[in-house]
Amino acid sequence: MTETKEDHRQFKTEEDFDKKFFKDIERRSNIWQCIQCGTCTASCESGRWTALKTRMILRKVVLGDLSVLEDPDIWLCTTCYQCYERCPRDVRPTDVIMELRNYATKRGNISPNHRAVVGYFKKFGHAVPINDEIRKRRVELGLEELPPTAFKFKEEGDDKDLIKFEEHLFDLPPLKEEKKKEEEKK
Amino acid sequence: MPNRYPAIEKSTRFVMKKLGYEILEMERASCCPAPGVFRSFNKVDWMVAGARNLCIAEKLDADILTVCNGCFGTLQEINKHLKENEEHRDIVNEKLKLLGDYEFKGTINVRHVAEVLGYEVGPWGLEDIITRKIAARAAVHYGCHFLKPTRLREIESSEGPTIVEELIEVLGVESVRFKEQLTCCGAGGGVKAYDGKASDTIFEEKMKNINDVQPDFILDICPFCHLEYETAQDQLNKNKGCNYDYPVIHLSQLVAYCMGMDREFVGLQYQLMGKEYNFGVEEAKKEEEAA
Repeated sequence: MTETKEDHRQFKTEEDFDKKFFKDIERRSNIWQCIQCGTCTASCESGRWTALKTRMILRKVVLGDLSVLEDPDIWLCTTCYQCYERCPRDVRPTDVIMELRNYATKRGNISPNHRAVVGYFKKFGHAVPINDEIRKRRVELGLEELPPTAFKFKEEGDDKDLIKFEEHLFDLPPLKEEKKKEEEKK
Repeated sequence: MPNRYPAIEKSTRFVMKKLGYEILEMERASCCPAPGVFRSFNKVDWMVAGARNLCIAEKLDADILTVCNGCFGTLQEINKHLKENEEHRDIVNEKLKLLGDYEFKGTINVRHVAEVLGYEVGPWGLEDIITRKIAARAAVHYGCHFLKPTRLREIESSEGPTIVEELIEVLGVESVRFKEQLTCCGAGGGVKAYDGKASDTIFEEKMKNINDVQPDFILDICPFCHLEYETAQDQLNKNKGCNYDYPVIHLSQLVAYCMGMDREFVGLQYQLMGKEYNFGVEEAKKEEEAA
């Protein structure tokens, strides 16, 4: 928001810290209005059972504590929007967590399972690709064996859409561990 | 939905046709893409891929009908956002050129089948068309992204929705209230893929609450919740010694059956859970005779 407020923050890691990105979070999520009341944590369905503490995450962002990007807990949000709905200050915690995940992904903090889902999207155009059993069921039900999506066109020899997905969308950085190994080799 | 639950697709087509809607095929469409995972990785690319799907529908000059909360969440949100935000629309359109001949114009709307049935057709409209009723008690699961965030969806309150309840009442189905009915199924936001155990724990509590009220089936409006309810019941039975066997039914399937679609097309034979369930047809017949 205002420039003077920015001065209060203590950034713990300055390296590859994208101020613009945090500004973006502020602009989209009203995060400066957070009064740390804890309604988000209390409403959190995931936090009831896991270590996810939404209020803490918001606090860390406000303080510019970048360890939050390494925090595995930001990946435990089910995006149920309960905190978003109930926040008395109109902060949008779900949006904050989404932005943080984007930023964490840029740093290579992305789980292998999630990486696989992106792979499916690039290869098939679906996060959930079809299998033989479902093909059979579709025919039994009197539907086309394949829905008319990009994947069907690929099957018919026209894979230009999927090649473009592969080239232009969701370009993920290498895994963190891989990064470390590369550095060790050097 | 077409790649996991074709029966839901079949039912939806049947229902919409019966109601006089024309369904157009979105050729070359892709995954919406899912709001939990893909938005987490790269929000811009998520908007671009979603906008591409919107463009396909714009070319057809038709609104998009979604049968899934995830698709609805993604497409409705992107559509609304790009209509309002010129800066992002320019960024997205620039990147869309890389994917082919696409340009987002903002000429269509994105709808959810529950909203179309609940508000546009309405219980009153459905009452005239149905050919049979079901006597059953259902645990209704709304899921998250159909109603929330209410600021964007503008359908109804997320804390006490009644849209599905009012609709199924006409079909003879009673919605049974259970504890923490409106919470998440536990699968969303990429959590099921990221940490299956955490997801299962959330679901376990959910299932306990449902079991307390002993419904005939679980009614959902989202294939992803559908998947969670089917497979996670199975997991709980195998790993935690539970003994759950509740059929899971999508709103489209229920409505299609009541509109007279043959049972083999409703797809109950593909159920992973509650295979015995057949909509309690016998009881309904008896009731008719008594009346």
